[in-house]
Order: sequence, then C-alpha cells, then structure tokens
Amino acid sequence: MSKLQSPLIILCFLILWEILFHTLNIKWYLLPPPTMILESIYSNFFSLMVSLSITLKVTLTALAASILISLLMAIIFYFSQFMEKAMMPVTVILQVTPIIAIAPLISIWVDNSEMATLICAFLVAFFPLLTNTIAGLKSTEKNHLDLMKLYRASKIQLLRYVVLPNALPYFLSGLKISTGLALIGAIVGEFVIGPISGHSGLAYRIIESGYQLEIPKMFASVFLISITGIVLYNLVRLISYLILRDWHSSYIQQD
Amino acid sequence: MTLRVLTDTDRQSKLEVDQEKLIAQLGSISKRFAGTSNNALENINLEVFQKDFLSIVGPSGCGKTSILKIMCGLIKPSSGSINWPTSNFQNSPENPANLSFVFQEPNLLPWMNVYENIKMPLKILKEDNYSADEKIYEIIDLVGLKGFEGYYPKQLSGGMSMRVSIARALVTQPKVLLMDEPFSALDENRRFELSQEILKIKKEKNLTVVYVTHSIYESVYLSDRIYVMQSHPGRIFEELDFSGIDKNEDYRFTPEFYEQAKVVSDSLKRAQIV
Repeated sequence: MSKLQSPLIILCFLILWEILFHTLNIKWYLLPPPTMILESIYSNFFSLMVSLSITLKVTLTALAASILISLLMAIIFYFSQFMEKAMMPVTVILQVTPIIAIAPLISIWVDNSEMATLICAFLVAFFPLLTNTIAGLKSTEKNHLDLMKLYRASKIQLLRYVVLPNALPYFLSGLKISTGLALIGAIVGEFVIGPISGHSGLAYRIIESGYQLEIPKMFASVFLISITGIVLYNLVRLISYLILRDWHSSYIQQD
Repeated sequence: MTLRVLTDTDRQSKLEVDQEKLIAQLGSISKRFAGTSNNALENINLEVFQKDFLSIVGPSGCGKTSILKIMCGLIKPSSGSINWPTSNFQNSPENPANLSFVFQEPNLLPWMNVYENIKMPLKILKEDNYSADEKIYEIIDLVGLKGFEGYYPKQLSGGMSMRVSIARALVTQPKVLLMDEPFSALDENRRFELSQEILKIKKEKNLTVVYVTHSIYESVYLSDRIYVMQSHPGRIFEELDFSGIDKNEDYRFTPEFYEQAKVVSDSLKRAQIV
C-alpha cells in the first residue's frame, strides 16, 4: 500500500484537474487538461524524444564532469590546506552568482552551443558535490586514521580503505542534490543559449511552443522535464541504497 | 611466590638477569601536549620483557593510553627514548607487523565485513592473497568468529566486534600486543570470557602483551606485572610483580585473588595521596 500511495495521489490530482477543466470551462490555451497534454506528447512523440535526448545528454555529461572534477578537487583539498584556501573562494563565487546571470557571458565566450550549455549545467551541479565530498573526507574518524598510521599505510591506501569509503555517504547525498541541479542548469543554459547545434532541447521546445501558442505542447515539455528529474533522482536513490544498505546506519536492518 | 613490590634495586637486578628477554625499554619518557602547560607524562621508565603480560593501571586521565600510543609511534614523546633491542625481532623493530594495537573501541571499518576488516592490515602490508587467507582463517578459528565472515560491523554485538578487532590485531602475527582498555565497554561476563581467551591466545602465540586498564580485578587476573600510575602529571608510582602465580579459571574466586586485588587497590590509593 505504502508504495502505491504517491502514484495514487498524483492520479487523483490529474483526474481532479481533468474534471475541473470541464466543469469550470477553463480555456484550453490557458490550462490544457491532462488528456490534451498526453495527446500532445503522443502526436509530437518523435520530436519530443529527440529534444529529451539532447537535454538528457547535456545533463548527464555535466553530471559526470561534476563527479570527476569534484572528486579530484576534494582529494587535492583534503591533502593540501593551501589549495583549499586558495581555490575554495573561487568555487563559492561561481556558486553564489546566479547561473542565469553568467549564462549570457558563457554564450558569448564559448562558440559551441552544446559546450556552453554543458558549462552552465556543470557550474550549477558541481558545488554541492564538492562541498559534500570534502565534508565526507574530513569527517574520517581519528581512530580510523590512527589505524592506518599504525600499519604505515600509503596515501593511496589511506584513500582507498578509509577516507573515500567514509566520504561515500556524503558524496551520494551531494549527488542527489546535484542530479536535480544539473537538469536545472541544462534547462537554464538552453533558455539563454538557444538550440544546441541546431537541435532544440526540451527548454527550447518550451520557448518555441510559447511563440506558436501551442500551450499543450508547452505543458508536454514541462511534464517531460519533471519526469526526467524524478527518474534521475530515484535512480540516484537506488544506487545510493545498493551501495550503502550493507553497512551504513541510514539503512537500518529489520530482521 | 606471591605478589611483591619491586624496588629500584629489584628492577636493576631483573634487568641484568633478563637482559636477553628485553623487548622494549622506555627511558625517561615525558610528554607535553601542544597547547597545555603541564606534562601529561613525566619521567616514565618501563621495561617490557618477552612473554610478559604487563598491565598499566591508573585513574582515568593519568596518561596510560599515551604510553601505549608512544610505544607504537602514534604520538611522539616530548623527551626520552624507546629502545627496542633488535635481537628479539625478525625484521626491524619498527616493522608494523611486529606490533599490534587493540583500541578501546573495536574501531572496525563499517564498510568492510568481518573478513575484509581482518584482511585489511595484510592488504596494506601487501601480503599475497593465498598466504593472507591462510592466516585469516586460522585467526578466525582462534578467536571464535567462524561463520561470521560475511557480517558487517553494525550487525555484530559489542563482544563480537571486539573479537574482530583482536583478530585484526593478531592477523599480522605480531610479537607484541598493545591493548588499550579493550573490554571496558563490555558486560562482566563477556569481559571475563574474552580475558580468558586473551590468556589462551597469548600462550598459544607466545605473545607479549602490554595491557592498559582501570580495572583492578582485570589487571590482577591477567598480569604478571603491574605498573601502578599516579596522575597530574602521569608518573609510574610503583611496580608490582605477580609472576609465578598459577591462574586457573577459579583463581578469581580465591582469597589470594582478593588479597592481591587489595594490594593493587592500596597501591592506587597511596599513589593518589602522594
């Protein structure tokens, strides 16, 4: 039952929406009913899927880049206080400046529109991963470090056996935040930068539909973006569960 | 022969007689921690002989743990020296395999199961898998962990976790085992059970054990020698010798046991008054 709760609530909400649309005589070009949105997804299926794949590609590439670069930087910062003190302010500035304010600049500086959008998504997704991973690395227990010291473990062994596994839960909760942010960054980037190498992503579909007053198609794009976000988030949750269920206290076993 | 308090002359003559068996000698060790104005340890002179079961007893905060950590190199003394006569060690005395440390808490890595936790030191020391497995399963048998290899630390009770911790310390086949109040978090029965097993393992493996505790009974039951400490600053007050006492399972219920416990208790009291 508990697994069905949230889908049921969403279903009830959609049915209510449909009923209210017909009973309150709402104009379809203001708020189309779910059936009309579904129909729009169906009739524009191919072009919407192409758009989805473009947005998804940017999102996932940005996420992969954030994971790699944040891990690398976190490890460097863990071993070098100097580097952390020198670099951290730069990353904070990048984080607190709204991406929508930097995106036009990126668009001017970077010719390739795919790369420009990617940079936008990366800049948004990167920071939570970095700060969480650093917090995770630094939270390693003193006793665990002493244990490594007793056996004269090398830096690589220290990372492999103790420090990185210790940071894993922190990294994964950062990843949950960053996955959503990468999608947001990709959408915002596309809004400002435009079609990616001549193809429209989901964000540009929204702009197009606005111009052409195809409101159901606009809703269809928004729906697809939300669904993508939900799927990505749950995927990360699943990965997180599979990795941590054996040993982490956040997954308490019930016998 | 029963318990006796060793005088300086006694210690000197024991050193001469047992010169061959000397494993470690701490000479006038002092330690002052950064940011503090008083010595945590002052003028610690202490000898460890082969196959000793040596206890360091004292009130909380007297620096017992610091002595152990200085011995295994986790903290550096402010002055003084540790001498490891090399003849008793196969490789260099600094070889981490020769010394093992059992922490106050089990200190297991939660992301590794029992088998992986025990294997971890061997992996760091780059032992090949085949000989590692042989050692691991021997130790798992010895400490009674058979069948628990795949368990994760959060699935284990306190006593079981401590067994894994002891197994991890033993798997490198050390000469000397340093134990820092290892059973203080366990209940009375578990504590006794594990104490007995430590004695058994010590005998079987020809181990030398340095054992830190605040429990008088534990120290009397386990040790051949006891260093009684006083605090502020941490100093060795007195050395007691128990060697030659037969310690069978019922020893802890005999009048002698209580007599000896009283001697240690009195010594601790005098140490606090001085």
